[in-house]
Amino acid sequence: MDINEILAQVDAEIRDIGTREGLEEFRVKYLGRKGIVAQLTGSIPTLPVEERGRFGQQVNALKNKLSCLIREKEKSLADSGTKAASGEEDLGMPGIAQELGHLHPVTQIITRICDIFMRMGFAVVEGPEIENEYNNFTGLNIPLEHPSRDVFDTFYLKGGEKLLLRSHTSPVQIRVMQKQKPPLAVVVPGRVYRPDAVDASHSFMFHQIEGFLVDKGIRFSDLKGILEAFARAVFGEEIKMRFRPHFFPFTEPSAEVDISCIICKGKGCSVCGRKGWLEILGSGMIHPNVFKHVGIDPEVYTGFAFGMGVERIAMLKYGINDIRLFFENDLRFLKQF
Amino acid sequence: MKFTYNWLKDFVEIKITPEELAHKLTMAGLEVTSLKAESGDFVFEAEVTSNRPDWLSIIGIAHEVAALTGRRLKKQQPQGLKAAKSGQKPVSIRIEDKKDCPLYTAKIIREAMVGPSPDWLRKRLELIGCRSINNVVDITNYILFTYGEPLHAFDLDKIVLQFYSSKALQLGKESRGPLEILVRRAEEKEEIVTIDGVKRVLDKDILLIASRTKEPKNQRTIEQSMPVAIAGVMGGKDTEVTAATKNILLEAAIFNPVTVRRSRQRSGLSTDSSYRFERGVDTDTVLAASSAAAGLILKLCGGKLALARSAGMSLQKKRGIDLDTCRLNGALGAKIPSLKIRKILESLGFKVKAKGKDSFSVTVPSQRQDVLSEIDLVEEVARIYGFENIPTSDPALAAQLKDNRTRDLVAQVRETLAGLGLNEAITYSLVDRESLAGFSGETTLEILNPLSQDQEVLRPTLALSLAKAISFNLNQKQEYVNLFEVANLFLSASGKPREELYLGIALCGTRELFLEQGLVREEAGLLHLKGIIETLFCRLGVKGHSFKAGRGPAALDIYVGDKHIGRMLKLPADLKARLDIKNKEAFLLEISLERLFGFAPTEKRLTPLPKYPGITRDISFILKEDIAVEEVLGAVRDQAKPLLAQVRIADYYKGKQIPGGFRGLTLSCIYRSPERTLTEAEVAPLQAAISALLTERFGARIR
Repeated sequence: MDINEILAQVDAEIRDIGTREGLEEFRVKYLGRKGIVAQLTGSIPTLPVEERGRFGQQVNALKNKLSCLIREKEKSLADSGTKAASGEEDLGMPGIAQELGHLHPVTQIITRICDIFMRMGFAVVEGPEIENEYNNFTGLNIPLEHPSRDVFDTFYLKGGEKLLLRSHTSPVQIRVMQKQKPPLAVVVPGRVYRPDAVDASHSFMFHQIEGFLVDKGIRFSDLKGILEAFARAVFGEEIKMRFRPHFFPFTEPSAEVDISCIICKGKGCSVCGRKGWLEILGSGMIHPNVFKHVGIDPEVYTGFAFGMGVERIAMLKYGINDIRLFFENDLRFLKQF
Repeated sequence: MKFTYNWLKDFVEIKITPEELAHKLTMAGLEVTSLKAESGDFVFEAEVTSNRPDWLSIIGIAHEVAALTGRRLKKQQPQGLKAAKSGQKPVSIRIEDKKDCPLYTAKIIREAMVGPSPDWLRKRLELIGCRSINNVVDITNYILFTYGEPLHAFDLDKIVLQFYSSKALQLGKESRGPLEILVRRAEEKEEIVTIDGVKRVLDKDILLIASRTKEPKNQRTIEQSMPVAIAGVMGGKDTEVTAATKNILLEAAIFNPVTVRRSRQRSGLSTDSSYRFERGVDTDTVLAASSAAAGLILKLCGGKLALARSAGMSLQKKRGIDLDTCRLNGALGAKIPSLKIRKILESLGFKVKAKGKDSFSVTVPSQRQDVLSEIDLVEEVARIYGFENIPTSDPALAAQLKDNRTRDLVAQVRETLAGLGLNEAITYSLVDRESLAGFSGETTLEILNPLSQDQEVLRPTLALSLAKAISFNLNQKQEYVNLFEVANLFLSASGKPREELYLGIALCGTRELFLEQGLVREEAGLLHLKGIIETLFCRLGVKGHSFKAGRGPAALDIYVGDKHIGRMLKLPADLKARLDIKNKEAFLLEISLERLFGFAPTEKRLTPLPKYPGITRDISFILKEDIAVEEVLGAVRDQAKPLLAQVRIADYYKGKQIPGGFRGLTLSCIYRSPERTLTEAEVAPLQAAISALLTERFGARIR
């Protein structure tokens, strides 16, 4: 028998084997006591002396190859785990377990963002949703009859006390700074309310995360450093950032912060309005007037503050295009997060 | 604010492309939101923040462009206007309250030809979305956008005529005296028809321009005056400039921002004019704008300038601010050289005088009313220097070791419930009052200015919102709805609003469980709610809870110790019908997390493991359905204490082998002593006593 012929046929032969029994048959056929390899070995003495050495090596190589093939096949038969005749489980059937519930995407984003800031040394503080005009406006350097208030349309409560539903989380700045002395590093998540007509991008209730840091010698460059670290943690290391001058009554200088569009990587697409940039938060150095309102000396302490819309971040991260989905509580929506 | 490339180029040389200009402006704080090529020009639309009214004018933006590109503003030709002498009776101006109107100027132009505007003027206005009316009105608008100073042109003859045609006065034409322009508050219920043709009923918050004439015969001023415009907001229809107009009264004034704001809010009229007055108009610009407008009218419409009058003060005190460049760099974390700082401020029109090595005295130009203190100058320098050129740094932050207990516990609640398969919902805190009926009897806090019925009150319960979420999901063809929410409820405690953190859970429908024996369908019920909440109590380490019958047939109050912490219920049929929940039962739970967390131990303590093994004995029996198992368990515990360490229901069955009205129960009893290993002989009599108790006292049949 020609060894080369045998070598050529074993590959095809073993490929077609699908059971352990078949494999055993194959083993006996080649490596058994009376198998082909044994026969070949037995034929060595019949050969001319000068051929014996080379032939012996070839038989050895065949033997090694067969052992190797059989070992591999054994492994693959064990791995495949398809329905076995021996009464083992069919693992194609569904697994048995309790279905796990899902946390709301807004909760998940809040947790993630708060965790990032907590790792940097910020504490999480929450405040009431019903506020007074002082904490929501006046204390934050927003005069009551001034156009700067127009962006903060506000729900008021009936009754003589002029109570309102906070239109941003910034009143918690006032509450914390009135009670505690610097150094302060705080993040504030929570619900906020504005009487906006509801559509795909507006909701009369949404969530914000506010943050502020107050200490001696806090600089604008620190604001940039902290927010860049934050944006990289949330959106990835490659994200680019830019700070644009803006106006907020409670900060000076004020900046809006854009990140390079996470969809098109800055090339311009429908999500970023072809600009390549997405606005994600507002920030700035806390205005000296705010410090004066809470009795902190602006000559001694400086600080920065920032605020962002949680739904907006969630929409960007998860590719959600309608803010109303967050509050419909459709299980088909919730179960995707 | 819309503006065009060519319009800007009238005032400043621009050597960069419109796209580059848009980018530079955006990065300096004037965010260009759109840029379009149109009719040989480029139209920019920019978001002007409320602190920069100077950017509501072409000249103001040109200032910025000059600073950003290192150019100077082009010099404008002075108008050199002179009023011609005329025999006409003069016009006088009277301002009732200088606080409402610090400055009022009027120019009279006689024999102007009102007609269509020249093409260049019409095109410019149309490019920025302003409709062309006639040359005089277009000129006032053109000057408004160029200078940021709102102007108004009246038909002078109609002011006078309107006055005499009013029914209040019946005077002969020959007796007309000189005209007086009066700036005053409206009377209650006074009326005016504005240019948009709407009759508006006024009140005392609204500032008016009115006219009256002095009666020459007996030197008596007629007290009554007729309104001709809502000051700073919109002119009157009766006195507008039309094709028939010959003589024009051109108004340029300063009105108090708060006064205009109130007038605008009261009249519900927001105009380009009110928008600028509310944000503050530069007093120095008033005269320049008025002269420029008059000059342009004379040029384009002909006529003669007959009179220029003004009342009130125009001069604003120039403010000087000290700036320390070390402090500036300290606030920014930057190293901007003093020379550079000076150059930036000067390019923006500030006058800078050196005071010391690192300090300047800076005079603010009149159009920059927003710059009040040193920090405002810091922002100006940072803006033009470029935020992108300021380095980043990491502030040293102290570790925060204080934990936020409520937040941590809420996180545990959320994770536990999600682990039990529940999905977290977030529903609106505002609801409509009518739907609330039947869900809560609490006094609600009402919203003064809801946009819709859905926002009338702050919710005192989560039940309504969660029931609505059930209904929504059933409509989406969901078979099983299991939701929870953690949110503040809003309660009224003796008139004072109070917020309390609550947990709400909603279950409805049939759950499908794929088990080894195949698909098992299980309908949600109160026992599921009980299981969920007990698992949560266990997770939080809360001990000693109980359920007591509450109001309503399938409602239970939840207690920890003797403190009421919440309730659970099966939604009654009428409420289900109202929310369109059909063919399924809905179950709701709400508990106060604030109260619950008071029972969650901050520390855990180990109970020592039993030293001696226990003996477990089960007992199965059939019990009448109307006997409460709680009572049975209590009796069993009493009977076999103290060796009975634990008794629990190990199985429960109903079915063919159990007679109707009965149920089968298996109790699992564990006997244990802390002192020794119990023997069978000790346990057997106790187990027998329990059997006897069950049969004798509860009529049970042992199986």
